[in-house]
Amino acid sequence: MNVVVCIKQIIDPEIPAEQFKLDPASKRQVRGGLSLVISAYDQNALEVALQLREKAGGKITALSLGEPEAQGAVKSAMGMGIDAGVLVSDPTLAGSDSFGVAHILAKAIHKIGLPDLILTGCVSGDTGNKMVGPLLAEELRIPSVAFVSRIEAKDGKIVARRIVEDGYELVETPMPVVASILSDDTNVPRYSKLKDIMAAARKTVPVWKAADLGIDPSCVGPGGRRLEVRDVGVVQRDSRCELVTGDTPAEQAERLATRLRELKVL
Amino acid sequence: MPFRELHWNISAHWLIYPLFLPFAVACLYGCYRVLQVVLVGQPDAGRPPLAAQIRVVADQVLLQRRLLAQPIAGSIHVAISWGFAILFVATCLVAAQDYLGVPTLRGAFYLYFMSLTVDLGGVAAIVGVALALVRRYGARSERLWKPRDQEGYALFLWLLLAILVSGFVVEGLRIAATADPWGLWSPGGWLVAAGFTGLSSAQQALWHRVTWWGHAVLAFGFIGLVPFTLIRHTLAAPANIALRRAAASGVIAPVALEDAEHFGVSTVRGFPRKDLLDLMACTECGRCQDACPAWTTGKPLTPKGLILDLRDHLMAEVAGRSSGKTMVGEAVSEEVLWACTTCGACHQACPVFIEPIPKIVEMRRFLVMEEARFPETMQAALRGMENRGHPYQGAVPSRTAWTEGLNVPVLAEKGTAEYLYWVGCAAAFDERAQKVARAFATILQAAGVDFAILGDEERCTGDVARRIGNEFLFQMHAQANAEALNRYGVKRILTTCPHCFNTLKHEYPEFGGRYQVTHHTEFIARLLRQGQVRLTKSLGQGVAYHDSCYLGRHNRMYAAPRDILSQISGVRAIELDRHGENGFCCGAGGGMMWLEERTGKRVNVERTEEALRIRPDVVGTACPFCLSMFEDGIRAKDATDTLQVLDLAELVVRAM
Amino acid sequence: MVHVLVVTEVQETLPSRNTLEVLGAARSLANATQGAVSTVVLSAPVEGLASALFDGGADEVIWVEHPLLVTPEPEATVAALTQVVPQVGAHVVLLADDSAARDVAPCLAYRLQAGLVTEVTAVQAEGEAVVFRRPTYGGRCLAEMVATRFPVVGTVKLRSMEPAPERGARPGQERRISVRLDESHVRTRVVQRVAEEVRGVKLENARVVVSGGRGLKGPEPFLQLQDLAQTLKGAVGATRAATDAGWVPVSWQVGQTGKTVSPELYIAVGISGAIQHLAGMGGSKTIVAINTDPDAPIFKVAHLGVVADFKTLLPPFTARVKTLTEA
Repeated sequence: MNVVVCIKQIIDPEIPAEQFKLDPASKRQVRGGLSLVISAYDQNALEVALQLREKAGGKITALSLGEPEAQGAVKSAMGMGIDAGVLVSDPTLAGSDSFGVAHILAKAIHKIGLPDLILTGCVSGDTGNKMVGPLLAEELRIPSVAFVSRIEAKDGKIVARRIVEDGYELVETPMPVVASILSDDTNVPRYSKLKDIMAAARKTVPVWKAADLGIDPSCVGPGGRRLEVRDVGVVQRDSRCELVTGDTPAEQAERLATRLRELKVL
Repeated sequence: MPFRELHWNISAHWLIYPLFLPFAVACLYGCYRVLQVVLVGQPDAGRPPLAAQIRVVADQVLLQRRLLAQPIAGSIHVAISWGFAILFVATCLVAAQDYLGVPTLRGAFYLYFMSLTVDLGGVAAIVGVALALVRRYGARSERLWKPRDQEGYALFLWLLLAILVSGFVVEGLRIAATADPWGLWSPGGWLVAAGFTGLSSAQQALWHRVTWWGHAVLAFGFIGLVPFTLIRHTLAAPANIALRRAAASGVIAPVALEDAEHFGVSTVRGFPRKDLLDLMACTECGRCQDACPAWTTGKPLTPKGLILDLRDHLMAEVAGRSSGKTMVGEAVSEEVLWACTTCGACHQACPVFIEPIPKIVEMRRFLVMEEARFPETMQAALRGMENRGHPYQGAVPSRTAWTEGLNVPVLAEKGTAEYLYWVGCAAAFDERAQKVARAFATILQAAGVDFAILGDEERCTGDVARRIGNEFLFQMHAQANAEALNRYGVKRILTTCPHCFNTLKHEYPEFGGRYQVTHHTEFIARLLRQGQVRLTKSLGQGVAYHDSCYLGRHNRMYAAPRDILSQISGVRAIELDRHGENGFCCGAGGGMMWLEERTGKRVNVERTEEALRIRPDVVGTACPFCLSMFEDGIRAKDATDTLQVLDLAELVVRAM
Repeated sequence: MVHVLVVTEVQETLPSRNTLEVLGAARSLANATQGAVSTVVLSAPVEGLASALFDGGADEVIWVEHPLLVTPEPEATVAALTQVVPQVGAHVVLLADDSAARDVAPCLAYRLQAGLVTEVTAVQAEGEAVVFRRPTYGGRCLAEMVATRFPVVGTVKLRSMEPAPERGARPGQERRISVRLDESHVRTRVVQRVAEEVRGVKLENARVVVSGGRGLKGPEPFLQLQDLAQTLKGAVGATRAATDAGWVPVSWQVGQTGKTVSPELYIAVGISGAIQHLAGMGGSKTIVAINTDPDAPIFKVAHLGVVADFKTLLPPFTARVKTLTEA
């Protein structure tokens, strides 16, 4: 069963608030000295793909759209055991919205060869958008299932566990299909084996440009956006936490309860 | 002229040689087999110079220094081993008279050595064996019985006893039968002789002959058994001591990763030969086990068990009967490997200088680098090191956050300084440990020391990564740090963390980082002695200093912290039971700071209880991990009102 | 003149709380532009629902009935709405940002060649444009997105909008639109629905939420949290750390990829306060944080904090709360 996993390289979000800086001109985060990582749920998607390959064989390709540095993300994926990787990088593609990204990824996937299963992370680690997966499915004219934590494949179909409000649904779809992955205890991304890391470091990742893919320029780049991002501002939170003290836990508990009563919450 | 008739009553004494031959062959064959087993390992790296080794061997084999660290058990061993050595020498000296004509059985030498000394040696040996039997079967000393029952050893002790007693019986019968005028010079034999005076001459002669040959068979049988049983330690231990590793216990050897086919060790053949010799030299005494903080607190790890399991696996492998059992996972469980704090107590305790830590680290390297199979919290710590350069969660904004209000110069701005204060990750990112950095910086400033910190150019030294087994990550960090330090031309480093100290001093030269590294306790002690820091206040507290494994045992630094305490007025220094080189680990080393203990009692709780028993006001520490472990332990024991833990730098500042 | 179409979710015979929130947003937008609000209900007419929707701010209720919409797969919903929206001629299509919208909204936007914004926390008209605000960078920032071409589809973040103020009995129109749907539209099929048992109040409706995070170190301590939650007649939530560890079901997760809650009282136990978690509970009225690490980011957003080990703090606290609430 062949799988393509779409991954995105982002600035490590696990940083203290003081280290987060926005560039007022581009309205994007400033990298500074922060490290780059693969978006968290994309890593879960890589893990799901690896587990499926362990059960059913096949080839996994990591596909990324980004700056040239994103080759590092693709190599990182290969270090986890992914068979091959491709980076699409072109200055004309920067600033695309989710529709544009989906279009680009779809073209790239056609060039790779439409696999049985396409995986993405359910939510993007920086923008927080959750649109690319289903949009990609639309571009490819195949079904999609979003916020899936587990996948089982059999007889040309998958059964996906889609998380809903009060539990989950088991959804069956024929392949090919796009699934966007949510984390749970079965898809914790594995630590990479050194052998794989070193092997990946020695490989070169092919970089495709817009021209290689036959992309429709009207839907990519800043000009192709359907909505304009006019402003991005940091949410100010005033830290006004009142610390409840006490010499013993019983005392602390007492004071906390009293305080909540005073605030009319209890 | 005092003398003894050579081979009295034993006419066919020359038969002893053909009798001995098969046993000798068996023994040689056994030794050859042991050598073969050891040689399946990998060739070894460096070795300390021979001159140094001879001294250590003499110390341990002749003076049995480590064995005597436990006086009673040690004395038993001295009695048995020296007793037997003397008896063996005496036997050889008899042969010397027989073949070389050296008059050993004549005159004063005969009386004082061959009779008296030898007899006393024999008596000592008998007392030793008897006490050994009592220890093992009466008192049932735990370290002898866990983790494996050792019923078979009764055989050795009884055999030894039989050899000794039969020897005295032979002597007694001779003394009685020949009415030896110098019998009293052999007090043991003389006493035994008293029991045989009732027999007729013919009976005495017959029994003498029977016992003489019986004694010979027992003795030869024992010799034949040596290489096949733990008694092989008589040969293997001196060899093991002589061939011990050059590096100190706290140092892990580097390994070239570039073109390595495999990482770490996953089969016995992957171990260096020295490590396999270790396995064969083990006497199963269990002193390592008693000293191990993991075993003491109920974890499945015991160094003795580890060595014996590896030995069994090695023997099975070489004999082809290991039936595909994996070394890492089946012979040695992963849980065992992840319980080790690398405290080195086992190294310290072992009388034959066995080294469990390098074996554990090599097996961890296999799990981490080859299999990527290791505890999740450790994975998170290593990921933090990869992404952020430190293993802590990321709440603190930068490595200079602790300096607020202190005006601590950063090397990038200052350009150069006499000393570089290597702050370490704990003091930068752990809220409690930041106070230690502040205290030390305060002291340095008060003493007018010219120092600077690297600030955000500092990355984790990598100690944690190396001990967890990710050698690759360690080497990347070491390389980057050494480059940064060399770029600034740093020569002298001060540090408040023993792990950083140990790694910077011993493990960085490999990466081009050669510095004079001083731990802050040493430096502060010096500043105090030289009067560069004045202490004006009296503290009036009982302080128990907790020796950090990486400062104390691994680097033998016990004096400086105690010196500091002695220079603070009003401080009453109390020693914990397990202190100095017998210090008990706080539980955080070896990457364990990032692993939840799920079995048994937590190591830091055990150590805190020990501290509480002697009722100090303060536990003094010299390591941010120990500090953190004690804070946690004190909270767990609900003793925050009665006991405080402070780094020695903090104590000094309070007295300034 | 913005015409807003709200996709309605029905609970029993009434619009759900989520729908009322979306309707509230739609109503303000329509009021500000002299526009109108239509609601589409993908079912046969339900007694009383229309008047409830009018009360909630709708001018029009559109019924769309079809056998394939009875237990709707997202694909059926998308196919139906793709036909409805052009017929209605709405500028803005709003849905609640719930689990169904994850599949429906993007596909619908694609097929309508419309713009798409998710997790909208504010919407207003500016001249010819409609401006949406939504969280980004995990919730650290708020982005302003401007739509100048229509239609545009938006999913409204739960608990961030207010339902329309009570207006008493309001007139409105009803009509039906028929759609053509067949099996070929629906390629996915739900084979099983598993509801993860929750005792007492549901997380999204609870007035009090007690949540546990990494600091709980295992599933058993969640029982302590359940005790406290029961005493407070609330619900238990969890962070991604706890659900990734498998200690509690994924549906208990509060956060960016879990539920959004806005209870009166949110007690965060052993939670560090990662930004993605705050995204799901930042709107809580009173936040109490219990954590042994005084540096934990949760203390920067909590109103009350206790630096303590929950294991020793919760028992006396739960007991105290019990006596206070029984009094």
